[in-house]
Amino acid sequence: MSALRLLSRTKLYWGLVLIFLIGALSSPVTSSGGNIFLSYGNLTDVLRQVSITGLVATGMTIVILIGGIDLSVGSMMAFSTVICAMLLTQQGWTAATIMGAPATAIVAFVAIATLLHFIFRGMAQGKTTEIGHRAAVALDPLRGKWIPVAGGLLAAIFAVWFVTAQVPTKFGVIGVLLVTPCVALLLGSLNGAIIVGGRLQPFIVTLAMMVGALGAARLTAGQDSAVLPVYTGSNATADFEFLRSMAWGIVPVPGLFFLAAIIIFGALLRFTAFGRYVYAIGGNEEAALLAGIRVARVKLSAYLFSGMLAGIAGVLFVAQYRQGKPDAGTGLELDAIAAVVIGGTSLMGGRGGLAGTLVGVLIFGLLSDILQLHNINSNLQLLLKGLIIVCTVLVQERNLAHLVARWRRRPPQSHATQDPKGARSASDTRPQTVSAFQKQREDVHEAS
Amino acid sequence: MKRREFLKFSGLVAGAATLYVPVGFRPARAAAKWRVGFSQVTTIEPWRVQFNKDIKAEAAKHPEVELIITDGEDKTEKQVADVENLIRQEVNVLLISPKESAGLTGVVDKAVDVNIPVIVLDRNVETERYAQFIGGDNAKIGRAAGEFAVKLLGGPGKAAGNLVEIWGGTGTQPAHDRHDGFHEFTDKEAGIKNLLDQQSADWKQDKAYDVMTTALRNNEKIDLVYGHNDPMAYGAYLAAKDAGREKEMKFLGIDALPDEGVTWVHNGELTATFLYATPGAEGLRQAVKLLNGEKLEKKIILDTMTVTKENADEIMRANGLL
Repeated sequence: MSALRLLSRTKLYWGLVLIFLIGALSSPVTSSGGNIFLSYGNLTDVLRQVSITGLVATGMTIVILIGGIDLSVGSMMAFSTVICAMLLTQQGWTAATIMGAPATAIVAFVAIATLLHFIFRGMAQGKTTEIGHRAAVALDPLRGKWIPVAGGLLAAIFAVWFVTAQVPTKFGVIGVLLVTPCVALLLGSLNGAIIVGGRLQPFIVTLAMMVGALGAARLTAGQDSAVLPVYTGSNATADFEFLRSMAWGIVPVPGLFFLAAIIIFGALLRFTAFGRYVYAIGGNEEAALLAGIRVARVKLSAYLFSGMLAGIAGVLFVAQYRQGKPDAGTGLELDAIAAVVIGGTSLMGGRGGLAGTLVGVLIFGLLSDILQLHNINSNLQLLLKGLIIVCTVLVQERNLAHLVARWRRRPPQSHATQDPKGARSASDTRPQTVSAFQKQREDVHEAS
Repeated sequence: MKRREFLKFSGLVAGAATLYVPVGFRPARAAAKWRVGFSQVTTIEPWRVQFNKDIKAEAAKHPEVELIITDGEDKTEKQVADVENLIRQEVNVLLISPKESAGLTGVVDKAVDVNIPVIVLDRNVETERYAQFIGGDNAKIGRAAGEFAVKLLGGPGKAAGNLVEIWGGTGTQPAHDRHDGFHEFTDKEAGIKNLLDQQSADWKQDKAYDVMTTALRNNEKIDLVYGHNDPMAYGAYLAAKDAGREKEMKFLGIDALPDEGVTWVHNGELTATFLYATPGAEGLRQAVKLLNGEKLEKKIILDTMTVTKENADEIMRANGLL
């Protein structure tokens, strides 16, 4: 039984392994007999292709973990591609720079002020641990308020100087990578502020943002330019090409961004108080609030991160496809949500994690790659993708060990009466209780 | 922030915004004698943008005409509502470029019922009651591309090579016409091998890039890439370039917009592109003719043109790009 339990506990990865095996075994070969699917070039292609969806799915995971949803990621990414393309190709004060300069300043101010505040509080707390638990410390106004504000202002001034210095010329790769995510981050935090401040459903707020940001993207791009082409070397700086190159000849840079995001946010979720709060809020928001967690802040940060990652994804989109356009991210939110759910994160919140999302995103990417390598007709591809998503989620959500145990031990005559499981659907609203219940039943089975 | 405070605050912001909005508001041109309504499908596709540019430029030459353009946002429902709205505004002529035939037929009938003449542009509707249809012929353009491709690969009877075709939306008529016309020529050649089976990139550069990446991985020899529009051909070119193989193959596209296909041909990235003219300018000219009481032909088919390195510069100069 323990082998089965192991299988059940690691089932998240079996789907990925299975799909990888299918890909490797069925792959077409080159004339020299090499396996195309397993070739290094193909695997890095997959990593590069999934990195945009992957970055967005990373933010989406955090939002879903707190029990929310972010439908606006596609539009925010599209908006970012437009901003990024304009920064790269147009000189002077355009809509993009006018939005970008204050956005960068605000983000720099808040980020540095918060950071300084945290550092001071952390230092103060380190000193005052007396009976083994930390007492809440009230910082004096100088360290609690004035130094962080001053530091933030300095950072903001630096940010404004940094942006305005680049305005007369075109932006380079570093400028774009700083300014674009800042604008998207503000959009994301606007989402969060409205959800928290107005106590509204995230579904409808982010839906409104999805429509609104699309409009903003179109307005920014202007009526006469549906697509803003970016030709590095002629109308944009050549250093922007870095974002689509292979780092040290081994890893595609977009993939590096995606993996870095998974690692950073994975660590944030697993090892920090913030991560605990995210899970606590997703599990039971009311209880988290009563336990003294600052729910509003954590929720706001989740949407903020989602926006920021969508912004970075936007920059990578421009780098890869050499264009910014308002319809860039159509349907992206659904791809991201699907990847998150395939990765075993519960749409109800509080359960799952970024390791799952990495798997989910890779399953998606490998699947498209295999279907494409086999040259399967586009219409059929869609059908197969739908089928495979449903199958993966089914395996993900059901308790494998129990399924197998039932199949092995079931007395053939009492099938319908003994087990109500068949009546339970995949849309069960309490997955956690259900699996606990199943485990109990399983233990009873084993004992008998 | 308390909920009430938040509501108050947002109320204030909204109030301030409404005060600000009328500043940018301009009333319609009063001098115009006639109102021409134009229902466009979408305004974010490059070809549609060119379409709108053409019709606006033509309207500027006719001060007696006030042109109202609506944007259907690529949705049938929205476009139907747009046309109903234009009928309410009692336009003198209705120009429409339908999203799809069946869904817009009803509303064209409705306009004709209240005696508004309708000129249908680009895609036809399933009724004969319109005043005129103006459009290109995708099959004809596909044939031009097919003939060119055969010549490029060695000439009739001798043509040989591996062909990658990147489809637009597989569910759309233009894609099928561009495919069928092209294959009328290439299928006659035994030496031409089709590598892909209906791979669609939805008319988009980014999707074509991904399709081509895998195709390059999967096939060691590709001689010709045919994209159902220029951005897809260009996306495929970029994928080949990133793989370091763009010199091995030739790229053909369709549409020939000055700032897209023609520019790419001029840069030597695409070998040729085939003009799919927008009916914008012609549509408005015909509308003016109609308003002046002239009789219109039932159908106008716009001609195509092959754009290669030889004539690309000339077109770009005519459009102020060189």
